[in-house]
Amino acid sequence: MKKKALFFSCLCLMAYMGVGAQELLQTLEKEYPEAPQYAFATFKTTRIALGHSVETRKKGTMELSVFSRFWNLPERTQSFVADRMNARFGISYALTDRWSTGFGASNLDGIFDGYLKYRLVEQRTDGKGSPVGITLLQNSSYRSIPNRGINASDGFWDKLAFTSQLLIAKKFTPNFSMQLSPTFIHRNSSRAAEDPNNHFAVGFGARYKVGGHVSITSEYYYLANPVNSFETFDPFALGVNWELTDLLLQFYLCNVGNIAEDAFITQTRNNFNFRDGNLYFGFNATFVLHLTKR
Amino acid sequence: MKNISLPLFMLMVVSGLAQEPAPQIARQGQVSFFSYTTVENIEAINNHVLSILDPSDHKIAVSMLMRAFVFKKALMQEHFNESYVESDSYPKATFEGTILDFDPYLEGVQTKMIEGQLTVHGITKETNIKAHIENLKGNYSIHGDFQVAIKDFEIRVPPVVEKNIAKTIAITFQFEYTPYKTQ
Repeated sequence: MKKKALFFSCLCLMAYMGVGAQELLQTLEKEYPEAPQYAFATFKTTRIALGHSVETRKKGTMELSVFSRFWNLPERTQSFVADRMNARFGISYALTDRWSTGFGASNLDGIFDGYLKYRLVEQRTDGKGSPVGITLLQNSSYRSIPNRGINASDGFWDKLAFTSQLLIAKKFTPNFSMQLSPTFIHRNSSRAAEDPNNHFAVGFGARYKVGGHVSITSEYYYLANPVNSFETFDPFALGVNWELTDLLLQFYLCNVGNIAEDAFITQTRNNFNFRDGNLYFGFNATFVLHLTKR
Repeated sequence: MKNISLPLFMLMVVSGLAQEPAPQIARQGQVSFFSYTTVENIEAINNHVLSILDPSDHKIAVSMLMRAFVFKKALMQEHFNESYVESDSYPKATFEGTILDFDPYLEGVQTKMIEGQLTVHGITKETNIKAHIENLKGNYSIHGDFQVAIKDFEIRVPPVVEKNIAKTIAITFQFEYTPYKTQ
């Protein structure tokens, strides 16, 4: 009985000491409110290299971008830096944290393109909610110089093509992210009767952060039903991103001259290798402007 | 009777002790930091800092999520979490310390040194902070500021932006405490 009493009194004392100061930090751990934790910087740029990433910018952010490709022709000597170049000057704006829209024009084939992008689901890192991030992309392009193209060129509507993408990405570790992008492309017209007007493709993209501000990216698109009138190859890119300040730079090697989605996914005429005419050097520069300060 | 006397005595001792000020918590504490350089001024504020103060033994603890710091530029916030403090790997910054020569019963403001360990970016440093502690009818509030050298916490700044980010960051803090109830 006496033992029991002593035990009880000890318990009383312990109950009081329990709120003691020894482990204040551990007490605080339990006080964190239940707030959802989302993955950030799955890809830091809105493009992996060639195609779109799941990323959208926060509300009120404008991006001014120059995407360029430089390549040599097999039969020509170099005039200055490279025989040929293609550049897309683009502007995009985040209407909300989820919606963003953009527009661009590139000189090769005179392609004008515009897109609407919606971040449907964000990846949660706290074990609840979605384990992946999902973004929807709808792009449309107009080919004003159709001489190299596979579409008919009789009227305005013939020169249009539409790309719909479901971008699914996951940040696996703090350094490694991957993306899968099922893609549907509809072209309003085809010059050759044997060419399909609808194409299905799947994009694979990855980013690996090697240093604080440097990451390696790679991207590949598998085209399920290529055009029949000439031989095409699947686009591939391998590059380095330099993510610092308001200017994001991407350098990569690829086999693609076109920048609009429908053009590079369905109409890449050469395979990836280091021969002149096949190897393209890509350079994306994106300047991020925060128009609404928080 | 004899058997009851011991727990009763203990209870009296405990209730006597219980008149000492009980632990208090701040759930909406504010911590902000400033980096002043001739090129660029950077500031960020975190309004969801947790802190607990135990006036009876002069102990204080602070814990915060690095991701809760809000910058004027969203991209800068992303760079901060992704490339500088690496919030995926080190999500929290914490401080644990003792207030020296603290008189919990003294009403009004007293300025004291807090001696403790600051943990940022996975690195723990002995840090002394001067703080103004106010006791308003048993409710405490603490505010103050101190400087931190980013080199001490192994936060690497690339040479390209060396001029944009100050070598020592000014940190200010403000906590309003209310009685702590365990859930």
